[in-house]
Amino acid sequence: MNTNSFLELKALSKTYPKAGEGPSGGVMDFNISLPAGTFFTLLGPSGCGKTTTLRCIAGLEMPDSGTIRIGSEVMFDQASRTAIPANLRRIGMVFQSYAIWPHMTVFENVAFPLRVAKDKSFSRNEITEMVMESLKSVNLDSYADRSATQLSGGQQQRVALARAIVRRPKLLLLDEPLSNLDASLRDEMRKELRRLQQTMGITTIYVTHDQSEALEMSDLIAVMRHGVIEQIASPKELYFSPSTRFIADFIGTNNWIDATVAEIREGIASVQLSDGAVIQAKVHEGAPATGAVRVAIRPENIKIASLESPPAGANRVDGFVRHSGFLGNNIRYSVEVAGGEVVTYGPNGQPLAPGEPLSLWFAPSDAVAFV
Amino acid sequence: MTDLTSSGAHGRPKRLRAREGNLLGTSMALIVAILVLPPVWFLFKASITKLNAGLSSDGLTWDNYLRLFTSEALLGSLMNSVIFAVFATLVSLVVGGILAWLVVRTDTPFKGLAFVTTIVSLGTPYILYVTGWLYLLGRSGPINVTWKLITGRMDNLFDVNSLLGMIAIEGFLWSPLVFLLLSATFRTANAEMEEAARMSGASVSSTIWRISFRLAFPAIAALAIFVFVRNLESFEVPALVGMPGGIDVLTTQIYEGVQRMPPDIGYASAYSVAMICCIAVLLYFYGKISSAAERYAGITGKGYRPRLFKLGRYRWLGAAIVLANFVIVLLLPLAAILWMALTPFVQPMRLASLRYVSLKHFENVLGQSYYHGLFLNTVIVAAGTATVVMLLTLFTGWVVARRKAFGKTSEQLVTMPLVFPGLVLGLAVLQLALVFPLPVYGTLWIISFGFIIRYMPYGMRYSFAGIMQIHQELEQAASVAGANTFEIIWRVVTPLLLPALASGWLFIFLIATKEMSMPLLLSGPGAQTIPVAMFDLWSSGQSGEVAALGLIWATLMTILSCAFYLMTRRASAKTFG
Repeated sequence: MNTNSFLELKALSKTYPKAGEGPSGGVMDFNISLPAGTFFTLLGPSGCGKTTTLRCIAGLEMPDSGTIRIGSEVMFDQASRTAIPANLRRIGMVFQSYAIWPHMTVFENVAFPLRVAKDKSFSRNEITEMVMESLKSVNLDSYADRSATQLSGGQQQRVALARAIVRRPKLLLLDEPLSNLDASLRDEMRKELRRLQQTMGITTIYVTHDQSEALEMSDLIAVMRHGVIEQIASPKELYFSPSTRFIADFIGTNNWIDATVAEIREGIASVQLSDGAVIQAKVHEGAPATGAVRVAIRPENIKIASLESPPAGANRVDGFVRHSGFLGNNIRYSVEVAGGEVVTYGPNGQPLAPGEPLSLWFAPSDAVAFV
Repeated sequence: MTDLTSSGAHGRPKRLRAREGNLLGTSMALIVAILVLPPVWFLFKASITKLNAGLSSDGLTWDNYLRLFTSEALLGSLMNSVIFAVFATLVSLVVGGILAWLVVRTDTPFKGLAFVTTIVSLGTPYILYVTGWLYLLGRSGPINVTWKLITGRMDNLFDVNSLLGMIAIEGFLWSPLVFLLLSATFRTANAEMEEAARMSGASVSSTIWRISFRLAFPAIAALAIFVFVRNLESFEVPALVGMPGGIDVLTTQIYEGVQRMPPDIGYASAYSVAMICCIAVLLYFYGKISSAAERYAGITGKGYRPRLFKLGRYRWLGAAIVLANFVIVLLLPLAAILWMALTPFVQPMRLASLRYVSLKHFENVLGQSYYHGLFLNTVIVAAGTATVVMLLTLFTGWVVARRKAFGKTSEQLVTMPLVFPGLVLGLAVLQLALVFPLPVYGTLWIISFGFIIRYMPYGMRYSFAGIMQIHQELEQAASVAGANTFEIIWRVVTPLLLPALASGWLFIFLIATKEMSMPLLLSGPGAQTIPVAMFDLWSSGQSGEVAALGLIWATLMTILSCAFYLMTRRASAKTFG
């Protein structure tokens, strides 16, 4: 047992018998160990098993096998047939639909976890104090007496958050909490969630399919696909060194160029484009030394040679402008090069006209080759 | 925008188009008013009219009301009515509610049986069920016969012609509908509400009590009022079960007033007016509570996934309850009816009686032109009613949904018949028919007229709900393209509304073929519907024919109710209320 970690999942599996069409969902052999205070995100497309994992941790779903430990307490262990019920795990959770009970006031919604607590009974004053403190932390202290039905989506979301943290749990689970909000509110709530998480120092597991949310808020991200983890990494690492083609495609925008491997040396592949040009790109261990690959380069890492001269060792590709689009602060170019079409940005001064030839460059460390 | 979109080469000026809509609104309000108001007026007038021996008017009087409020009959029948309605409501809520929860929210086996029960009962005339129950709980039924066999006594264990018998039969009669409506409520419930409580630390029982039940409470309360009103208005059970045992309720009092020689129309009308007032008050609260229920249901997320409670080692208990319900509510009464249809006279179910079994009753029903006429009458009346009602409510629904002139008035007028018990509406239409210049009394015309009034509110629910789901921009696009109001309704709204109109049509057809109390007062010798004929046959002791006729009819209607169930399975069952 890793004693430094606060949350540990070992070989967690939960699969559903396939019902109807579509992905059957579920999660297979999930392993993770998180230090206390981590903002951990489960990221992936729908049906990838992220919500199933979260619900297993919550105790709302019974895993088929594996172990779940929170702090020093084993919450689930298939081997010893341990399964602590959801209500005794003392975890805070925010649901996708917020699940604000319409028959209670805002105050009563938030007070509910204190009123039903099994291990401790709270006095009336304690309850008032803790509820108001919790409401204050989400800026809703003036709404305590409102009926839950009179709240906007954003306010309901805050109430759900206040309810989740009122007992000061050690672990907070957030199931796509921002997906039902409109764009401007979502941005605001991102910042607020992160601020709250950091001031409370609470270990948080966040489920989302929105990669920009994940990148902005998380300490650590696990990208999931078809029930398994593709990569666990920090946002930066995930963005700049994706370990699979799926992640490179799923996170951020990427340009793809088709090429053939010439040789691989020390993790750097020399690949040849269809017009004969040779460029260098990072490869992950175990990539075959021959055959077709696709090279991913972020648009912001591709420079136009006529505007910014390339340093020694940079990859150079030639092409011509297919399309230019005026975005206000800059211009977006679609450039046709050997092996694909790439997007890059230029200053908004004098745009290059479609059909004009141009030369592009990018650093070998900014290019990743995938089989 | 007004000028640009509405005065082009194709469009007509907007003013004119608005005027078309308002013209339609005004006409619909007028049509509905002409349908609904005269019966109400004649009923009220009869209640304050003094009749002389020749049944002609002899001035105005409050005598009928004075007699009503000073008589002991009112108090007694009111007490009976309330006790009957309250406990029958409880029976159907408990039976239907538990079943709905088991079927929708748990992993109990045999779920299909609950739906089979509902579908069959939707197609079966109430009077047929009631006769089945009368046999089961009656003198020659298995319960009393077994009791006599075991104890050797001559008296009965259970007197079916009692308040208790009425409550039991009425309660079972309504439980399939309660099941259907509550299962819709439970199905749309957001499971995350319960999970949030579990994550907050609440135990399973505390979650069910503090969250699940409280959330469903407005819907259950609204349904309770609705069923209570239906039970107050109920006539089949009081007439067949209560009257022979001398137990009077409000509806049987009205019926007896009309049947008396000479008819005491004034007294019956006063009774009816009093009853309408009570029901109006109840329905007012029903409206309030059900809108609260909708508000509760409104807060659900899109993250909804149906999740079932695992019964675990109590699974057998769930199975037993579902199975018991199927046997008690469906199998036993149907078996009793089949037994009655196969034996020449009412007798206990014994092996020795098997030699009397014959298909004679079925042959009679299928062979005689009297019965063929009944089938035809019922289908004509029900189909005609359903067609007219859906057409009327298509236009009124549009006028109300799109807030045209007099929309609010039309809405109130269309829903007004909800406060009429079937028997009361029958009485009101009867009086209208008697003064109508054409000889409509005792014809299919007058029965259809009464049905149209009675079922307009139901048709409205289907049409209105359907129109509300049609985005108004679809109509505006047609308007910009140059269509006038009637073209919009005919070529855009109607095709989109077709599924709702078809469901509404089938539902009205089914309940019109089941209705007994209203046509009972309006039928003539040549214009009977099947439930009325069954009541007549039953009253003259021909229970075998009743059973055979009912079984054949119920089989046909069950096929239709299957179709109806399949059509509306996805739609909210609110449309039933």
